[in-house]
Amino acid sequence: MSDNKKWYSLDLGQNKQKEATASCGCGKTEGSCNSQKTELSADEFYEAAINASIGEERHRDGFEQVFDVKMDRRTAFRKLTASLLIGAGAVSTSCSAVIDNKTKEKAQIDWEEQFKGNYKLMTDEEKQGTINRLMRSYELRTGKNISMTAENAEEDVLFGYAFNISKCQGYMNCVSACVEENNQDRNSQMQYIRIHEMKDGQGFKFDNADDNYYHEVPAEGHFYMGTQCFHCDNPPCVEVCPVQATWKEEDGLVVIDYDWCVGCRYCMAACPYDGRRFNWSKPEVPENEINKNQHYLGNRMRKKGVMEKCTFCVQRSRKGKNPACVEACPTGARIFGNLLDPNSTIRWVLANKKVFRLKEDLGTEPKFWYFMD
Amino acid sequence: MKNKTLIYCLIFLFILGFCSCKEDGEYHSIKDKIENEGKPYHGKLTSDQLLMDSELIEITAGEHTFWIPERKGQIKSFACTECHNRPVAQMKGLEGQKAHWDVKLNHANSEMMDCTTCHNGEDMNNLRSLTNQNIDLNLSYKLCAQCHFSQFEDWKGGAHGKKVAGWAPPRASMTCVNCHNPHSPGFEKRWPVQFNTQKAIERKEGLDH
Repeated sequence: MSDNKKWYSLDLGQNKQKEATASCGCGKTEGSCNSQKTELSADEFYEAAINASIGEERHRDGFEQVFDVKMDRRTAFRKLTASLLIGAGAVSTSCSAVIDNKTKEKAQIDWEEQFKGNYKLMTDEEKQGTINRLMRSYELRTGKNISMTAENAEEDVLFGYAFNISKCQGYMNCVSACVEENNQDRNSQMQYIRIHEMKDGQGFKFDNADDNYYHEVPAEGHFYMGTQCFHCDNPPCVEVCPVQATWKEEDGLVVIDYDWCVGCRYCMAACPYDGRRFNWSKPEVPENEINKNQHYLGNRMRKKGVMEKCTFCVQRSRKGKNPACVEACPTGARIFGNLLDPNSTIRWVLANKKVFRLKEDLGTEPKFWYFMD
Repeated sequence: MKNKTLIYCLIFLFILGFCSCKEDGEYHSIKDKIENEGKPYHGKLTSDQLLMDSELIEITAGEHTFWIPERKGQIKSFACTECHNRPVAQMKGLEGQKAHWDVKLNHANSEMMDCTTCHNGEDMNNLRSLTNQNIDLNLSYKLCAQCHFSQFEDWKGGAHGKKVAGWAPPRASMTCVNCHNPHSPGFEKRWPVQFNTQKAIERKEGLDH
């Protein structure tokens, strides 16, 4: 299956990594390979180590990842049986004369969705294909239409965010706007944004802060600050993802392919800002509350066992709008804009206000700044 | 001779340092990247579509030029002179219904401010500056800026106040009176719009971190 046509054009041809694999040769991260460490420079070692652990995965996609792997006989038989069962099911559904066309179409869509590649390697046509399938699938399942887009990052755009600590009063309009916009699970009451109520004069003490208060705000002797995904320029969550289901887009948004995520939650552990959320159960949103303007990488419906997080409302920001939290904030504490545009308001804030970021010393380079009046 | 070698070494180091910095378009920090790659945005995304339905006026304040919502059309009882056809002093004694009974002044204190600090009793269609100049109601930010100059600075730059539409240019910002009631400009205490009961349960069970 290595000559698979569907993904052939997308093979990014990282040939040099193949050579590096050959120089290492052992195919393991530990053991005898370690003896070579001293002979390699730091960079070479880094490359070799990555190649040894996930090397093949980096330049394989689609069918290749599944079929073109070395495995023992037992695993092979197990996989074969599983695929045969799925295949037989699909064939029987699609060929059956009794089953109606809708079911057949559904099976066809499910099949193609099951074997599609990683979103970030798709061409624009393939992206369009998958969102068309997802929209059709939703229509077949619920009888309702949704609109899903797959806009790519715009050129000369790098999104950034600024948060005014002295303006935030803790009203939490941002939180509820976010939940409504992004179709978060209502049962577990998942929220991307946390508003922390902190005591005056103690600085940022997250241990002593309360992010689930319910009393009149602003409370005497307290200030409020919000956290969410900071869309780091050097995101640790992306580095740890074993399947490359999360990555940084050209416009700086750190996004997740919900169909590629395996739910290992490494990214959740790696994020120093508590920015990521996991779907422990099947996310449910009442039909009349679903936001039907969706983006593949944004607020489309998720499934059980995948990660999700703030995307700076990719479905809005890539159309020139502000994220829902910015629009909902009654105090104007939230500022969003294009970091590359010297005339943008966010650039004025960065240049003229005293800004800082959380845990700056970690080198994660968040694109989310705090400032005060 | 020794000196020459030293100079060569220095040049070599300099070039090495320079090259290693710029390789692959990588920058040491996001700040460097922003400053080096930044240029005024003239891409295909604009806020024009979003701003189509709003009545806006273009203003220039300091070195910033942007749009703010038009105001006069939003005030129901404008033009004021339809009732205030003579100076306030002459109207005071008149019998009749109180028109502005709902306006309670809660802005600074009475020693500092009363109605005539901002309104011109002689010409109700305009506002009045501290030096008795007329200020158009559409440009009321000029009136506010007389005292609230630090807020004015932030507002001009975009650190204070909200945008009318999206992030993409052209910029349209709310003006002072779009968020603050000029007669009672402070924001009131209120309850947060939501409470996470699930989190409260988890916290009670000791599952919260």
